[in-house]
Amino acid sequence: MKFGKRIKEQIQESLPEWRDKFLRYKELKNLISSPSLTESIFVGLLNAEMEKFNAFFVEQEEDFIIHHKELQYRIKRLAEKCGDNDDETFREEIGEMRKDTVNFHGEMVLLVNYSNINYTGLAKILKKYDKRRGGALRSPFIQKVLHQPFFKTDLVSRLAREWETTMDAVFPMSNREAERGYERSAVASSAAAGEGIFRNTVAALVTMREMRRGSSTYSAFSLPPVNLSDPDLVLRPIHISSPIPIPYS
Amino acid sequence: MTMEARPVQRSDSRELSNLARTSSIPSTPNPSSSSDAFMRSENTQFMSKPLGQQTYHLLSSSNGGAVGHICSSSSSGFSTNLHYSSIVSHEKQHYASGSSSNAALSNDSSWCSDSLHGGFLDFPENHQASEIEDGVIGAGFDDIQKRNDWHEWADHLITDEDPLLSTNWNDLLLETSSNSDSKDQKPLQVPPQQPQIVQQQPSPSVSVELRPVGTTSSNSNNVKARMRWTPELHEAFVEAVNSLGGSERATPKGVLKLMKVDGLTIYHVKSHLQKYRTARYRPEPSETGSSEKKLTPLEHITSLDLKGGMGITEALRLQMEVQKQLHEQLEIQRNLQLRIEEQGKYLQMMFEKQNSGIGKGTASTSDSPSKSEHGDKKTTDSKELTPEETRKCQEPESPQPKRPKTDN
Repeated sequence: MKFGKRIKEQIQESLPEWRDKFLRYKELKNLISSPSLTESIFVGLLNAEMEKFNAFFVEQEEDFIIHHKELQYRIKRLAEKCGDNDDETFREEIGEMRKDTVNFHGEMVLLVNYSNINYTGLAKILKKYDKRRGGALRSPFIQKVLHQPFFKTDLVSRLAREWETTMDAVFPMSNREAERGYERSAVASSAAAGEGIFRNTVAALVTMREMRRGSSTYSAFSLPPVNLSDPDLVLRPIHISSPIPIPYS
Repeated sequence: MTMEARPVQRSDSRELSNLARTSSIPSTPNPSSSSDAFMRSENTQFMSKPLGQQTYHLLSSSNGGAVGHICSSSSSGFSTNLHYSSIVSHEKQHYASGSSSNAALSNDSSWCSDSLHGGFLDFPENHQASEIEDGVIGAGFDDIQKRNDWHEWADHLITDEDPLLSTNWNDLLLETSSNSDSKDQKPLQVPPQQPQIVQQQPSPSVSVELRPVGTTSSNSNNVKARMRWTPELHEAFVEAVNSLGGSERATPKGVLKLMKVDGLTIYHVKSHLQKYRTARYRPEPSETGSSEKKLTPLEHITSLDLKGGMGITEALRLQMEVQKQLHEQLEIQRNLQLRIEEQGKYLQMMFEKQNSGIGKGTASTSDSPSKSEHGDKKTTDSKELTPEETRKCQEPESPQPKRPKTDN
């Protein structure tokens, strides 16, 4: 039940066009309790869900690949334009560039998160099924899932990591910026928290931590608790207050 | 035998495979045994007909560097010049080891064949032509399949007197907003003729020189194929586009010719080109319409903060930090999950070996059913199975450390 709630929260916090691409966890869970459900139907449904993940994932990945390249060009052009001077005139452009880069990185990470959530959901639903029906569906099915395109997040992950290093290299914080300190971050973060990607990311982190805190059905297949490097440091200044009605379409 | 004619059968491994197929694979299981066999023992088929369009290929272009995954319904120009890369052979191993269960049917290969079979069946009388206009080739079609199948099942199941199931199916079918989980999912509709179309076409034989009627159709939209792009392939694409005068002037056909990637279809190129053009002329981080809305708060901050200019940077740093954290945690989690599954698989194998050797009675259900404590996850006092695990001998959870020792 906890996962059901978590995934629901995740979906709510997710980017709008993603919302119908997630695993229909609740429906599937409810279906399991029904006697007329057969294994073949259940498997069929899960396959259909995976199709959905695959299609969405691969398409997003394609977009990311394209955009990845475009951003690289943009940075290069901008870098050439600015030269080496710490010129004020380009600050806005640089800022814009930074923002786009961070957001792009965020979206990629969220896609990896998407993949993970759906995988986890599948694993859990299979476990429920086996438990309820005395089946042995879980293990072979999960093996299959491991080979699905949506599960293979290596490329997106790699691109994201590239940006992590690039960000530090290309847009280092100047000393002046660093001196401003973090007192402004509280203000900025609460404002930034209204921003979709950011909210989603934080929600994902919180969810992950919650989900791995412990469960009554802990087994060898369960994950250990999350070990965030100093999670409070990162998450404390972030106060995602009761949902701000964000004007998503 | 059409899908409708064959009701949802139960308790039969064959139906399992059939149903699993029909759920995600629009094609008919035709008399051809190769098709059935393919479905059920992908590795065999895979190996013997490696270049069939139903496989998941890695192709190398003549450029040498660009590689993409193509799951193609075999365009007319499909040659036999498909190269397996190391990744494919890696996948092959997985196939060989993985898909023995009837229940676990579609892997990469049948994922391919989903779109694949659909593709062949998308002939001029195809009713989903409009669906195909979507950027995502297979998705629209698969969506319909999905909806259609759910409806099929619902039809069958609602006749059972199971209010719970009926209710659920109704929810799913009607997509009422009361079901908040699925609120955003598209309503399930049923194009009734569609399954018949599916049934008419013989399922394509698993051969390379496939000359299905569908692919000779000049309407490349009909070729259902899902392509997985890579940065290298994209680079080759960009080069081709540039040499043709830029994204506005380049044509899909020209690009396709220049790229010289086997298995790449004009449809792939066309949709990719479309995305490319959009990305260039609307350089938003997100290609979605909500990007404007999403960025508005930050834009406000930017304008407010231009004087100071630091707040926004801090916000971005924080955002980046959080994103990095999530990324890292996801990596860790994924690795753990993989290890857990590997371990489980290994254990199960050992278990089965033991069982087959000794006989059923020794199914090792431990009789110390204590669950591990919530907090106490680092210990390995773990020759114990939790109660629920003892119930299922088939899935021994562990005679070993309950979870992989990890340093997180």
